[in-house]
Amino acid sequence: MPDVSAGPRLFVRRLLVVAPIALGLGLWLAVAWVVRGRGAPFPGPAETLVYLLEALRGRELLGHSIYAHVGASVGRWAVGFLGGFLGAIVVAVLAGASRVLERILMPLVYVLQLVPGLAWVPVAILLFGLSNQATVFMIVVTALGPIAVNMVAGIRSAKEEHLRVARMAGAGTGEILLHVLLPGSVPHLMSGLRVGLGNSWRVVVAAEMVVGSGMGLGYSIIQSRWTLDYASAFVCIILICLVGLVVEYVGFTRLEAATVKRWGMVRS
Amino acid sequence: MSLLQLQDVHVTYNGASNGGVVALSGISLDVAEGELLAVIGPSGCGKSTLLNLIAGFIDPDQGRVLFAGDPVQRPGPERAVVFQDGALFPWLTVAGNIDFVMRMQKRPKPERARVQRELIELVGLEGFEHAHPHELSGGMRQRVAIARALAMEPRVLLMDEPFGALDAQTRERLQDELLRIWRQTQKTIVFVTHNVEEAAYLGDRVVVMSQRPGTIVEAVTVDMGRPRSRTEPDICALKSRLFHLLAGTEPGEEDPTKRACACAKE
Repeated sequence: MPDVSAGPRLFVRRLLVVAPIALGLGLWLAVAWVVRGRGAPFPGPAETLVYLLEALRGRELLGHSIYAHVGASVGRWAVGFLGGFLGAIVVAVLAGASRVLERILMPLVYVLQLVPGLAWVPVAILLFGLSNQATVFMIVVTALGPIAVNMVAGIRSAKEEHLRVARMAGAGTGEILLHVLLPGSVPHLMSGLRVGLGNSWRVVVAAEMVVGSGMGLGYSIIQSRWTLDYASAFVCIILICLVGLVVEYVGFTRLEAATVKRWGMVRS
Repeated sequence: MSLLQLQDVHVTYNGASNGGVVALSGISLDVAEGELLAVIGPSGCGKSTLLNLIAGFIDPDQGRVLFAGDPVQRPGPERAVVFQDGALFPWLTVAGNIDFVMRMQKRPKPERARVQRELIELVGLEGFEHAHPHELSGGMRQRVAIARALAMEPRVLLMDEPFGALDAQTRERLQDELLRIWRQTQKTIVFVTHNVEEAAYLGDRVVVMSQRPGTIVEAVTVDMGRPRSRTEPDICALKSRLFHLLAGTEPGEEDPTKRACACAKE
């Protein structure tokens, strides 16, 4: 006989998965209805979905397929994020190796973190002009801060006993850094990566709007101001969310399963 | 010649000049090659400081620490420490933890693989080579810690309350395992504990230390064969004596700890 109590509980659980989606769609419909009443063409969920399917089937947007736009944004993100990550490792290793360097470098990183990503626009344009590099630069500076800060915290939280084990075995400074401090900082690093990824993805889209170079999701959204093709902008917004979700729940969850979860080092 | 010699060692934390805490005061001690020396004392008596000195993690403010006749200057694989909580690297497997120290010693890979297998067998962890520390019980983690220390091929094993966090049964089993490993490997062992029973059961000699500033009250030579029973009158008499030394009372006075040896009445 099936568990009687399982029925309603399963139903409630399913309801709770569907509820936020239903709420979101409901709000969207309501806003669309109100705005349309004022005479503005506000795309509703249905129109947007149709547009999305057409785009996925190959309908071009601003001269490029939707895949090219997604690819352009994700590509910039990947390059910029990798740059920020490598920069953060260099900063964290230097600051982790020496208290003096930490005192010199980390205040700059903290200040860097206070600057909103988009505020870098003038700096980026002065350095690189209206170009792809300008966008990548903005991603690098947004990703670097949270990763570096968390990594240094991770290195500083190393257990004294771990260092002692390595020293007994004759490990040098470089080996201790590579084999003890860096792996030990991975749980902190994960928090940094998560924040860095999220921040820099938002900056890609924003930067493309300002410095954009003819392609990308942010670029497409801002162009809808002139083309009045608002449904395309909504499609781009949905894709931005989807990319973020995929990276978070597919990429990141796997990365965690392979490292901190496997090592029992999940931070509460 | 003794393998290990401490000569009138003093250690003060936060600097002797500005009235720091005296951790150890006038410690002189010889440890013979192959000896299993137990050190007991109340918490904060400087037992761990004593091990840290021998390991080379800290320097004495006064006096000398000699290992095989030479002053100890820095940590080294010949003086391997087993820490209380094991201090295993959570990101490495059991095999990886044991291999780690040998990698740092830059020993050839085939030798590392062989030693790794031998040690895993020695501590009875076959089948757990690829487990991560968090998947193991406390007792198993300490076995790995012992294996990892032995992998360095030390001449002395410095054990800092290694079974302190284990439940009573696991603790007793590991004590017996340690005695077997000691017999098989013939290592010198300095075993720090706050557990009188453990010290009496394990030690060839038991060094009793006083409350801070840590001094040696007495080094009691244990005149008992092995294997020892945990309940025979001899060991009870020893435990009772150790209790009195710790408490600073004379035998015959009422045991101030009220922990009179229960087994003595059996």
